[in-house]
Amino acid sequence: MKRRDLLRSFGAAMTTSALVSPAAAAELKGFPEQTAMSADHLPRPAMKGGGFQVFTQENDRKILAAVFDRLIPSDKFGPSASEAGCLEFLDDQLAGRYGEGRALYLEGPVRPENEEAIMGSPQFTQTPRQRYEDGLKALEAYAKATDGVAFHALSPGRIDEILSGLEEGKIELPNGVKGKWFFELMLQNAREGYLADPLYGGNRDMAGWKMIGFPGARYDYRPYIERQGENLKLEPVSLIPKD
Amino acid sequence: MANWKKIGAGIAVIAVVAAIGAGGWAWHSLNTVASNVADDTTRLADFKSTDQAAIERGEYVMRLGDCSACHTRENGKFAGGYEIGTPFGTLVSSNITPDAGTGIGSMTERDFFNAVRQGIGQHGMLYPAMPFTAYRKFSDQDMHDLWAYMSTVTPVKHDIDENAGMKFPYNIRLAMAGWDMLFFDNSGFRVDGSKDDAWNRGKYIVDGGGHCAACHSPRNMLGAEMGSAYLQGGNLGEWFAPDLTSNPHAGLGTASAQDIANYLQTGSDGVAVAAGPMAEAVEHSTQYFSKADALAVGTYLKSLPASATQPGPVQPVDTPAMQKVALAYEVNCSACHGLGGEGIEGMVPAFKANHGLLSSDATNMIHAMLQGARAAHTHDRQTAAGMPAFDWKMDDRQIADLLTFVRNSWGNTATPVAASDVGRLREFLKASKKMATP
Ligand code: HEC
Ligand code: HEC
Ligand code: HEC
Repeated sequence: MKRRDLLRSFGAAMTTSALVSPAAAAELKGFPEQTAMSADHLPRPAMKGGGFQVFTQENDRKILAAVFDRLIPSDKFGPSASEAGCLEFLDDQLAGRYGEGRALYLEGPVRPENEEAIMGSPQFTQTPRQRYEDGLKALEAYAKATDGVAFHALSPGRIDEILSGLEEGKIELPNGVKGKWFFELMLQNAREGYLADPLYGGNRDMAGWKMIGFPGARYDYRPYIERQGENLKLEPVSLIPKD
Repeated sequence: MANWKKIGAGIAVIAVVAAIGAGGWAWHSLNTVASNVADDTTRLADFKSTDQAAIERGEYVMRLGDCSACHTRENGKFAGGYEIGTPFGTLVSSNITPDAGTGIGSMTERDFFNAVRQGIGQHGMLYPAMPFTAYRKFSDQDMHDLWAYMSTVTPVKHDIDENAGMKFPYNIRLAMAGWDMLFFDNSGFRVDGSKDDAWNRGKYIVDGGGHCAACHSPRNMLGAEMGSAYLQGGNLGEWFAPDLTSNPHAGLGTASAQDIANYLQTGSDGVAVAAGPMAEAVEHSTQYFSKADALAVGTYLKSLPASATQPGPVQPVDTPAMQKVALAYEVNCSACHGLGGEGIEGMVPAFKANHGLLSSDATNMIHAMLQGARAAHTHDRQTAAGMPAFDWKMDDRQIADLLTFVRNSWGNTATPVAASDVGRLREFLKASKKMATP
């Protein structure tokens, strides 16, 4: 069933639910004997070595680094987004399920007229990977048209100006790329790369976690519950620690 | 399913070798006169006991012997089919339902006595993976009752060719005669008049039906239990059955008879929680022991003189290198096993003073880390709590260090765990490698 059909049929299902056999649910008896993790429950670490898979063009990486490092610049609190591995993180994500939009509904709207109003947020028929392909091209074209140089060659101040314009919806990018939505995608992914577990390629040396004081993948905080109002100085821990 | 029964491997293999070596005939070990007390005219298929009391007692004997551990698989109750892998082929447990064609329906009671107590089955001598060496101690009364119970089992048609998977010459049953001659003590249980009834009952269960020594005694190179190290701990390959003598360091020295009884009846004595093959033994067999019998076993075990095992040299854990390990313990283990290694009573084992884990053989600890474990599910303790596996997130060195830390904290002292031992078991269990990260 397509998602929107599902949404529309929801009301009907509620009223007729008495007719739906509850026996359709699988019944579990006892408990699982094995406690080893099955493959589909394991995290999928990003692996270096093969180089970039999606951002294979150096210029694309330069544009992205230029944007990311304005969103999270290097300062006394920590490294910049690109220094912390956010490009590698994003490349790995875009090369896999996230990039393919596996969890997204990507077919056209049933009723295009007011779909944004129905859904409460912008909807896309492109995968995230395609959105980056088009978005980076559009940024480059925009810089060439307005400033006559490559995007990555713009001054930090000028990049801030463009990013602000995109964020506020004041700048439209060429080729139908919605500037505001592409900005939001990049912002979200930069944050994710900076704060996700290092096993996914970003947050190198747990720099993001150290910056905000997040203690990482710990199981139990009972030893600390009583110690309120105190800087606990907890060392962050990755889900798959290096040592 | 635990592979501990791989001990059958050693035994089966050795049986042949020994037979060839011995080359003789063993009249005493093959003497079946003890079975003459049983009827030799009525086949099981033609008999259905109506003696309710005997049937109930027989069911209890079946629990003592844990027959279903090996004889009940997905094919039906007692229909056999449990495969015991050996390097020389696969041995399969028999269908012991009263079906005349495929089970033991055409056995008389005497045939049944011969199979269970003497190791002589319908097709010839049995491989000692069937623990007849221990069952030899079953009293005539218990055997009669067991027979009554077996007559009430529903016949299941399920054909089994037990040793078809054994390669030549290991498929020759007569070869078992040599092994029996060397290692089969063909004598019944002898009451020790100098000890009380509870002690004698305990010994009867431990040495007989319970076949505790099958796991808890070390085995010699020919796969036979070593009497000289009786119940001092046996390595089952991927598990280690700990020392059950009164050794205060690695044995039951600090446990009371009642603690042992609690462990057998519920799967935990409040400190240790049975894992692996012992969890299975508790689930299928020992939780059914009566209070008196469980206590009798405890009483008997407490009477065993302590083994000579000494604690390992003290391994300091307050070094800077071990601080990192302490953090790994806090982060990964303390939620369940406690910051002070105190565990959760009856559910998650304590490490502090858990003597069964402090033997120099750390196989159980490594096993639990690599594959996780599931506590016994018993009438008294229904949770059957799980220990998660850590193979995917820790390498051999990390696991070894953590276990060394656990074995030497909170007053424990035990030999450090070697990373190479973790690596060996990881390979053997086909556990996954630590995941590679950026
Ligand atoms: C550790 C595993 C194990 C346990 C426990 C066990 N058996 Fe067996 N049993 C076997 C195997 C394996 C065979 C087949 C051996 C062979 O064919 O040589 C067997 C064979 C037999 C046979 C011979 C069948 C025939 O067709 O000749 C009988 C009878 C039998 N078992 C009864 C019992 C009873 C009764 C109990 C409980 C008191 C019991 N077994 C417990 C493993 C086990
Ligand atoms: C989710 C709770 C949980 C966590 C976390 C956990 N364990 Fe366990 N652990 C258990 C339970 C429950 C058992 C008992 C399993 C059994 O009896 O089969 C157990 C058993 C064990 C055993 C085997 C004891 C035996 O009887 O042979 C060892 C060793 C062990 N844990 C070590 C650790 C270490 C080291 C860590 C941290 C890396 C850890 N555990 C984390 C719950 C946990
Ligand atoms: C199939 C092999 C097997 C058999 C049969 C078996 N055990 Fe065990 N036993 C083990 C293993 C393995 C352990 C370790 C469990 C763990 O690490 O949690 C164990 C642990 C124990 C412990 C806890 C020891 C400690 O120091 O914590 C006791 C007590 C015990 N067994 C008693 C018995 C008795 C009594 C019998 C016979 C009625 C018996 N076992 C039969 C394999 C076996």
